[in-house]
Amino acid sequence: MRQAAITRLTRWSERRHGRDTLPLTVHRRRIYIIPTRFGLALTGMLVAMLLAGLNYNSNLGLAFGFLMMSLALVAMHHCHRNLLGLSVDAKVETDCVAGAPAVFEFRLRNDASVARCEIEIRCAEDPPLVAGGSLVTVPAGGRQSAIVEIPTARRGVRHLPRFEMRTRYPFGWFRAWTYVQIPLTAFVAPRPHGDQALPPATGTAGSAAQSSAPGDDEFSSLRDYQAGMPLKHMAWKVLARGGHPAVRSYTAPAAQPEWLDWCTLEPQGTEDRLSQLCRWVLASESAGRKYGLRLPGLEIAPSRGPTHRTQCLRALALHDHSESS
Amino acid sequence: MLGAAGGGVSFEQLSWIAACVALTLLAGMATLPVWVTLTVAGVGAVRLGLAARGRDAPPSPLRFCIAAVAIGLLFLQFHTFNGLIPGTALLSLIAGLKLLETRTRRDVHVLTLIVYFLSLATLLEGESFWLLVYLMAVCWLTTSTLLRLHDRDPRINERWRESLRRAGRLLAQALPVAVAFWLFFPRLGGPLWQLPDNGGGASSGLSDTMSPGDITDLALSDEVAFRVRFSGATPSSEERYWRGPVLHDFDGHTWSRTDAGPNAVAAPRLTFSGPAYRYTLSLEPSPRHWLFVLDWPAQWNGPQASLSADYMLLARDSPVEPIDVTVTSYAHVSAAEPLSPAMRGRDLAPSPGNPRTRRLAEQLREAHPDNRGYVRAVLDMFHEQPFYYTLHPPRLGADSVDGFLFDSRRGFCGHYASAFAVLMRAAGIPARVVTGYQGGTFNRFAGYWILRQSDAHAWDEVWLEDQGWVRIDPTSAIAATRVERGLTDMVAAGAPLSSRWQQRTTWLPDLRLELDAVRLFWRQRILEFDEHSQERLLAWLHVPEPDTQKLALVLAGCLIAGMAWLTWQVRRELTVRPTDPIERAYARLCRRLAAIGLPRMPHEGAEAFAARVGGARPDLAASVQGLCRRYTALRYSPLREGPLGASAAATFITGVRGFKPRDSRASSGTGSLANAPPSIPG
Repeated sequence: MRQAAITRLTRWSERRHGRDTLPLTVHRRRIYIIPTRFGLALTGMLVAMLLAGLNYNSNLGLAFGFLMMSLALVAMHHCHRNLLGLSVDAKVETDCVAGAPAVFEFRLRNDASVARCEIEIRCAEDPPLVAGGSLVTVPAGGRQSAIVEIPTARRGVRHLPRFEMRTRYPFGWFRAWTYVQIPLTAFVAPRPHGDQALPPATGTAGSAAQSSAPGDDEFSSLRDYQAGMPLKHMAWKVLARGGHPAVRSYTAPAAQPEWLDWCTLEPQGTEDRLSQLCRWVLASESAGRKYGLRLPGLEIAPSRGPTHRTQCLRALALHDHSESS
Repeated sequence: MLGAAGGGVSFEQLSWIAACVALTLLAGMATLPVWVTLTVAGVGAVRLGLAARGRDAPPSPLRFCIAAVAIGLLFLQFHTFNGLIPGTALLSLIAGLKLLETRTRRDVHVLTLIVYFLSLATLLEGESFWLLVYLMAVCWLTTSTLLRLHDRDPRINERWRESLRRAGRLLAQALPVAVAFWLFFPRLGGPLWQLPDNGGGASSGLSDTMSPGDITDLALSDEVAFRVRFSGATPSSEERYWRGPVLHDFDGHTWSRTDAGPNAVAAPRLTFSGPAYRYTLSLEPSPRHWLFVLDWPAQWNGPQASLSADYMLLARDSPVEPIDVTVTSYAHVSAAEPLSPAMRGRDLAPSPGNPRTRRLAEQLREAHPDNRGYVRAVLDMFHEQPFYYTLHPPRLGADSVDGFLFDSRRGFCGHYASAFAVLMRAAGIPARVVTGYQGGTFNRFAGYWILRQSDAHAWDEVWLEDQGWVRIDPTSAIAATRVERGLTDMVAAGAPLSSRWQQRTTWLPDLRLELDAVRLFWRQRILEFDEHSQERLLAWLHVPEPDTQKLALVLAGCLIAGMAWLTWQVRRELTVRPTDPIERAYARLCRRLAAIGLPRMPHEGAEAFAARVGGARPDLAASVQGLCRRYTALRYSPLREGPLGASAAATFITGVRGFKPRDSRASSGTGSLANAPPSIPG
């Protein structure tokens, strides 16, 4: 029943706020607040205090009881205020391999002159199951990142329809929270696995020797600096020794594109093939080689770098993947 | 799942909460059984000792055994957990046992609730201002402890001073709302259900018998008997006789009274004349029924009370808590009807023994056949013959009046009143002894009189046919100063050193008076605040026909206002306002222009903004451009530092303060479009 109530509440808030855009500043209309179990216990205690004070006709007892009551009201305001006006930005897409957690990073910005303590960020799944949480404090006029790790088990796409910021500050008597209706997506590549050898690179060994081209990877020699050359290649030590301004020049290694091809794999299960391909992608990338990926119905041209790697891993994650899973 | 409430508790957090428990118990220690305090202290020390060595709470079977034994012992002692003292003791034990098993933050949360409730339980029977202050301080500490459980930022958590500051801020914000609650929450005027009796404290004061030792004891006591505030005229010292028990029956040594017999009939009617005095008595709790009133009471309100036949004002119930009574008295009265035979017979009853006294009465009676002359003669005797006033008279034998009148001639008011009454009765004049208080100390800081036990006094009333009962104070015959200044002046020897020293210094009595005024305020305005006070408060606030419903409405209004105020308070902390006065003044200028429909665009500098304003409102152009130019100069000119800059800043700030543009949109109507800020294309 509790689950059903939470589902209804999230649906209602979704209708109420619609989809959000990032970065988002928390408006008071979207902050909800209820007493925690501890707050309910406090309410019971306050009622007992009131009855005791009235029954014993003790003005001092009543004064103390009323002070506690007002403190509860103040705590409620501070709990609500703790989220008010907080700005949040997030990385809504992330990549990981099955078995490793998907990491989402939330960046909180606090423009106010008071610190926001004990902000918890939790990602919600649909149906609302809480998938992971992180507790941070955002200093006054400062920023703070919160990392939320979502455990993954299977290859595919993990959709988290919303995330939630909540707080129990200052006394844990109330819980204020806000839903942020932004879908978070984790692309879960297959677990890297398999021991098949890399397919041989296409092209000949001879051409590889000649095709040394200017690149970024291996240091080859110093050249005189000319205006417009990238400063990160500057040979500062040479300059410091009193020499001419010089830049280091680099050559890229012989990079024959290699094709990681579904069809060249030994016939086995789909997941095993994808796991093998994933392992090859990761190995080629870390070795700095150019690689392309061929899957049934999909071909990714040879390249390298983080963008290319992400593209390949997402292709592996999405291969033959139905949205419903 | 555990989220914010779960997780382990550090040694530091544990010692904070242990300190809170200890400080709360300290306040209520006097009423708790000693072993309960010792158990809680021991258990807390064990837990802290274990935590200091980095060890966990003791195993649960052991804890369970300790709890069962302690709670069993408590039940054996009280046979109940109902009632304030057993309940507080139980709660204290639970606090100790909870401390023993504390290992998570959730446990600390529960402990804070117990500490809050223990503080309240201590306050229920307490009356002291300092107790309230002390427990509020403990509450502050407890709240800080609670706050530290939720401040996970190590930078903040390192400094307990910062936690105290934050908790203090929260409590300070709670205070106004709490005061509104306290003032306007409807009081019931009685308990919701019957409470177990704690057997009220014994208090001293006059009793309904008088033997020579009694008033001596009272005379040395500084305890406050009651306080009086006159509205209107204050009677002179000779008229301030506060009548208490009236005594009729004399057995040769002790005067006493029985409430049955002639006293049970209604008071004979009196014809009042002379000035009326209206005053409010603030009576301390007492096991006695009588209220001390000025001679002669005519009207009174407050508790249900009635006049006895001998003009004592008797409350139906003895005051178990401080009460206020408003009374009107008249200084002069005359009897409207003759003395009833029953009362005459009672007040003429001869005393046993004392033959010499009776002979003296016969002699005097022969010389003075008329009653007035006889009374005068007796008083003259006290005045002219060597009668002394002392609080330490020699012991008297069986015929105490004979011994006093003819042998010792030393005594205090009780001796004189007793001897006088015996002499009157022996001559056939109805007489009775009245005990009460006389005089009083005026508190000039707060305008009321304090009657202490040391003001206790005894005097006589005699019946004169044409006048009725007439008050005679034979003690005043021997030394007039007794009536003028009070008993302590008359103490010949043996007075405590402290009281003599107090009389030589002038500031100390003043200080005592001031403290007493504060004490009375505390008692009347705070401790005794009740439904009547609330009605007066509403009347003072001009609420017509105050009743509980109106009170609830006012409370609701206060609550709404309080919530709005709290909202404003917490949001105010969110906005970052410039601390620089020039920046603040510039912000104000922009606000005022925005209010008339000319907001500064985020991309606009001061001069560009001024140019746009000048275009839209030519009437404002000169002043706005002048102010903005000055602002730019104050920000960027090399002259901005130094005396020139300071004076320019002052001119700018006063200029902004005086700049109050009028909104032309309302008057010109169609001009609103023209004045609107230019929309940014794209």
